[in-house]
Amino acid sequence: MADETKPASGDSAGLSNGLVSHGDHKSRRVYQAARSLHSGAVKDLLSLGVCERCIFRLVSVEAFDSDLSSVSASTLRSWLESGDEEAASSEESSCCIVCLGVLQFVFSDAKQTLVRSECGSDYAARVTDLVKEEGHEFDSFGLEVYVPATILENERAVLLYLKGKYNSESWLQSEKISVKDALKVLVLDPLKVSLGAKSDSSSFQIRLTYSKASDEAQGASETTRERKKRKTDEENGSTSMSENSFEKVYEPCILSIHCNKMPIFFSGRYFKYSRNVSQTRWIIDDERMGEASVEVVHLELIGGNILPACLGDSYKFHAAGREDIDVRMLGSGRPFLIEVQNSRKCPSQQSLTEIEEKINKSEKKLVGVKDLKFIGSQCWAMMREGEAEKQKQYAAIVWIARPVEEKDIDSISSLKELKILQKTPVRVLHRRSPLERERTIHWMKVEKIKGSSHYFLLHLCTQAGTYIKEFVHGDLGRTTPSMGSILGCRAEIIQLDVTDVKMGDS
Amino acid sequence: MEETQNIDVTKNPEAEDAIESTKQKQSEEVEHHCDEQQKQSQEEDELRKLLLSDIEELPLSPPSATQLNFVSYFITDFTKPGHDHYIYRHANGLCVIGLAPTHRAFKDQGGITNIDFNVGKSDRSVLKVSGKRKKNAMRSESNTALCKVSTANDSYIVRCCVKGSLLEVNERLMKQPQLLNSSADREGYIAIIMPRPADWTKNKESLITLEEYKEKKQDILLEPYFSDIPHLRRLALMSDLSSRIVSQIEYYFRRIRAMTDDIHLILRSMGSSTTVEVQVNS
Repeated sequence: MADETKPASGDSAGLSNGLVSHGDHKSRRVYQAARSLHSGAVKDLLSLGVCERCIFRLVSVEAFDSDLSSVSASTLRSWLESGDEEAASSEESSCCIVCLGVLQFVFSDAKQTLVRSECGSDYAARVTDLVKEEGHEFDSFGLEVYVPATILENERAVLLYLKGKYNSESWLQSEKISVKDALKVLVLDPLKVSLGAKSDSSSFQIRLTYSKASDEAQGASETTRERKKRKTDEENGSTSMSENSFEKVYEPCILSIHCNKMPIFFSGRYFKYSRNVSQTRWIIDDERMGEASVEVVHLELIGGNILPACLGDSYKFHAAGREDIDVRMLGSGRPFLIEVQNSRKCPSQQSLTEIEEKINKSEKKLVGVKDLKFIGSQCWAMMREGEAEKQKQYAAIVWIARPVEEKDIDSISSLKELKILQKTPVRVLHRRSPLERERTIHWMKVEKIKGSSHYFLLHLCTQAGTYIKEFVHGDLGRTTPSMGSILGCRAEIIQLDVTDVKMGDS
Repeated sequence: MEETQNIDVTKNPEAEDAIESTKQKQSEEVEHHCDEQQKQSQEEDELRKLLLSDIEELPLSPPSATQLNFVSYFITDFTKPGHDHYIYRHANGLCVIGLAPTHRAFKDQGGITNIDFNVGKSDRSVLKVSGKRKKNAMRSESNTALCKVSTANDSYIVRCCVKGSLLEVNERLMKQPQLLNSSADREGYIAIIMPRPADWTKNKESLITLEEYKEKKQDILLEPYFSDIPHLRRLALMSDLSSRIVSQIEYYFRRIRAMTDDIHLILRSMGSSTTVEVQVNS
């Protein structure tokens, strides 16, 4: 007999006329399962327009398993209908009234073209094409499936109908696998093969989202009135779901695929060489001049260079502390993290080194980078490390009202572990709590500057959170002791540089 | 030299080699140590160069932190003649309030001797403002009493001058009222007030700038007074002397004072009743 069914790729051999006598044991199992289903229920559901795999889902006692994906829908249908070598019905199966084509491997793509696959591996191949378009490199993935809510409503309607007719049957009592989970069961293995990757709850997620094709042809999309009627019907015990409730038009869903990779991190230390001091910080016409912005725009250079190398969507820059806009970061640099969202590939250490060189050699010399490398989940621990004990080292150019004397140099250098009390500086008082903070200046060193008797270079090592500028000029006497009070005259700070940010023992 | 070496080698080549190699290692280590030290000092030099890279641009007399970050306003004869105050407004909107150099209180001999924050309905020095939102801050109008300063002869009420939330009063003044005499414009500030933007805009209309203040109070600024340091400040204000010069003059003035005291001691010990006086004339 000429066969109508074409075995799609992946079908086991020898299914040309439905016979499984020489097929592999997978299809044989499926065949036997098909034959064991309650024939009356199967007939009813087939005539309602429920698809083959949904019928297995709803009627079978055995667990729904992946073998069902390797047998084509039309073959399944033929086994459900008659069970012997009759040719399967050649009519194109219409869209399932429960799963809206999801388990039939039918969907509309972005261009609204209908895509049909006979079996799981074909479907997996199409999904793979779409995944490849996103451009990610990966060797393992996690699978997520989203289906429209109407599918649940459809299913509820069909189950209600079945309960009405076959209430006492044992197969009806078991819990039915959802459409979402059923799809995952069907396609996970073919996807693994087709993508060449393992499956795990990994950092890379593939999300298959089925959404309603249009608002009208939705099948059991209930209006409120219908829902109320159904609820009262259930309460009354009437099972008035007739076959008429199902006479709507059902359309396959639109499938969209989204891939997402968990953020990846890079660490390093940055230097800031520019000092954005504007000489005129006066208020013009009383417009409240925002406090000198601490967001340093040119630090974005670092992230801006890493992002393209990762082919990511966006990035975030996290630094272990920050310095004012008019303060340079020199010496050993400040630790930072770059977090890249949805990267498609992970750059090699070689390319990271190249990025580092490119930034350091750039003409403008605003920013520098050191030790740029990929870092794993321990990155946050690294940033928190020794946060409270962090010491910082600074170099400030200080002016005092009288000439610097030798005794000044000695008296300053002899102060070790100096405790100071700082009230919240006036310049940040508008947005911080008024508090008095005790801080420690661990040591200080004075270097005279050639050619100037009123200026000197002050090196100091302080506890984290110390306001250096206020320590020098005294902040109207709100920081005590201050450089001015120690030296007995007015002191001003001309420039400030950070020379070391100690992180734990690094 | 070479001959000796050769002989040595033939004698006991292995031992010699061993010694040679350890010597080499040691000298290498020393070299390495030297290298490291060199590298370190090189790095330090480079750092120092960087630190001082802008040195040519160091101004002879730098503006003070106050001048850089605040705009000076004044209000004169506020509620009473001679009650002159300054309002230094920071770029972030906060206002530091204090006594201007021409305030009547400075005329009294001996200057200000006492300050009391317990005026009006509450003691301003015990209010505790907390949190970013500045809870519990006293809301003040411009004529709300802030404190009372007393001199030998008289006492004067100081008012807020600005409508807003009183964030802080300078309680150091209670223990050290002389700060008002020596540096009323810095450590002798009286309070910090946070006005709302709308309130400030209205308030500003009754304030005058530094230039206008100098013009208005010219006569007073040029009068001789008893207390010399504030007089110097007034002088500096009038003659636009740079802050550096003023501070230097103050410093040397104090030195001269100390020296005249020493001279007096010597004269007394010699039995002389001669006096030395230093006067500042404008």
